[in-house]
Amino acid sequence: MAANSHSESHYGPEMWVFPVASQVTREVSERTSAIPMAFGIGLGVSGLLLGLGIIGFVIRAMSDGFGAHGPWGYYAAIFSFIFMVTGAAPLAASIFRVTKSHWRRPLTRVSELFSLIGIFNILLFIPLMFVLPAFRNPNLVPLAENELDLRRTIWFEVPIGATAPQWLDLLGIACLALCALVLLWLSAVPDMAQARLQATGFRRRFYGVLAGHWHGTKSQWINQKAGLALLGAFYFMLLVFMQFTISSDYAQSLIPGWKDSIFPVIYTLTGFQSSLGLMLVILFVLRRWGGYKGYIGISLFWSASKILLGLTLLWVYHMFSFGITYWYGRLEVEQNILKYLLFQSYGWLFLANLIFSFFLPFLTLLWNPVRRSDWGPALAGAFVLIGAFLFSWRIFVGAFNAGDVYNIGLEHVPAFAGPDLWDVLIVLGGLGGAVFIYLLGSRLIPTMCAWEIKEGAMYQHMGTFMRGRYLVLAKPE
Amino acid sequence: MAKRPILGLFEDANYAAEAGDALQQADVSQDDYDFLTDAPYPEGAFGEREERHHLYWFPFVGALVGLTAGILMTSMTQLAYPLVQGGKPILSLPPMAVITYESTMLSAIIFTIIGIIFESRLPRPKMGLYDTRITEGYIGVLVNVEEEQLPKVSALLTQAGAVDVVQENPEPVTA
Repeated sequence: MAANSHSESHYGPEMWVFPVASQVTREVSERTSAIPMAFGIGLGVSGLLLGLGIIGFVIRAMSDGFGAHGPWGYYAAIFSFIFMVTGAAPLAASIFRVTKSHWRRPLTRVSELFSLIGIFNILLFIPLMFVLPAFRNPNLVPLAENELDLRRTIWFEVPIGATAPQWLDLLGIACLALCALVLLWLSAVPDMAQARLQATGFRRRFYGVLAGHWHGTKSQWINQKAGLALLGAFYFMLLVFMQFTISSDYAQSLIPGWKDSIFPVIYTLTGFQSSLGLMLVILFVLRRWGGYKGYIGISLFWSASKILLGLTLLWVYHMFSFGITYWYGRLEVEQNILKYLLFQSYGWLFLANLIFSFFLPFLTLLWNPVRRSDWGPALAGAFVLIGAFLFSWRIFVGAFNAGDVYNIGLEHVPAFAGPDLWDVLIVLGGLGGAVFIYLLGSRLIPTMCAWEIKEGAMYQHMGTFMRGRYLVLAKPE
Repeated sequence: MAKRPILGLFEDANYAAEAGDALQQADVSQDDYDFLTDAPYPEGAFGEREERHHLYWFPFVGALVGLTAGILMTSMTQLAYPLVQGGKPILSLPPMAVITYESTMLSAIIFTIIGIIFESRLPRPKMGLYDTRITEGYIGVLVNVEEEQLPKVSALLTQAGAVDVVQENPEPVTA
């Protein structure tokens, strides 16, 4: 066992764990190369779902083409969900690293591994470029009532702008993925350099190519630290921007008359909340069944749960602000949008969304004993993840099926658009694809950031103060 | 004459720091030795010189390039197609800001990546002198000296508490 905990502490033996630094690299390398049966089954099932999703996509493309955006609502919803959750995930590593908290050390690589799904996001986005309706109304009847020549977007409307959203969105998503991948590489270089000396076959060559230059000199550590800080900052700035553009271009601009400055913030918040929730679920699985009990203490769940609780409260606050503004507005278009997305067509979905994104996680995380466990925050994480999925379903399927995008406002309340078989396959395929890539990546790049765990071991130990045993933390900067 | 590397391995970080002191007293330049570790130690822990990096210049220059390109692209396009939309001025800053922000970010990120690759001196095909025990928490003190100084430096490292001293050939050097 590579860890010893301190049973004399007031908080119990599993609250803080202290991995033995000299064994970390070997143990993490062994677990990275191992493929347990449950892992193999997970990989197989997710691969199968990905295959079904591809079939669903091909049939959807053949039956409906890319001319109309309505049939692609569920595709847009699953893209939005994956992009929202996995795009925000690598940010956790950067933000918590900047705050220099020690509890986050086992979380960083779990979060950074989501960078690999950035490539999947690019692939998923490409078909959406072709289904976005043109800026200019192709069927404009001169002097027609309530019809716009150009539909409303955040982009400027001279000819270069006519195709700008699709290409600028793609460029932004690609650059986000590139930034995330370099962040992952930069963070994993020391681990890969150390693991290559113990790895064999393909892994040895892979690590050698990616980390052949690394010796762990002072200068390399300093450059790595600066690089991680800079790229983390840029990733945050670009992520928020891309979440703003995607939520504007593929949701707001497709519902006539929906002008709301709060919605992009809700989208970003849902991303932060659900990505943290997903990481807690993964860490719970790694702790319980992944052999990392000696690396992941309860303190991580306890600390992260407070942030999750804060994000949950922020989410409901913004949701309320959006609703109350429109409710007081009382214009016909505002009332119709509220009825469409919140109270009638997608009313049951909104209720479920509210329950999973707010009520259930709030009622779970309200209790300190629950927060101070590994299962409690993970359960709340699972709730918010389901909530985020329902959110994407409600908003993006709703936006893609709201009718005439060139109308000046939503004149009636459109009906709920249910999924057909191909939509179900597409959704399952999207989820399967993301899981498949993450699982594959976790066999190549260690799930624990070994160098950060070792660094943490230098700065934490249990000490005695009067008659109690307490965690003593050092912060060198 | 070309310098040759020699690596002292220390189980205790304090002994590695003492080896650094001994090398300084023996007039070995601070540019000629380095501490190899498996985790980042706090700055100054080994009494080493302060390391500086120039990485911040890369994103700064990149952001300037992207900002300029974004402003030029949006303003020249709008001037080339002077269409009044919704009574807004031809050169409207809010829609320009969207594209300019994105181009600034993209350029800054790409320049940063170039900077990281340059500052890390990539690619480096040869591994150089290293020992796997460093991954287990040993501290390596890597010294580059003239060949005739190797026995002296080896003795110095051993006296400081090195558990092993290795050179490019796999045989341990006898102090």
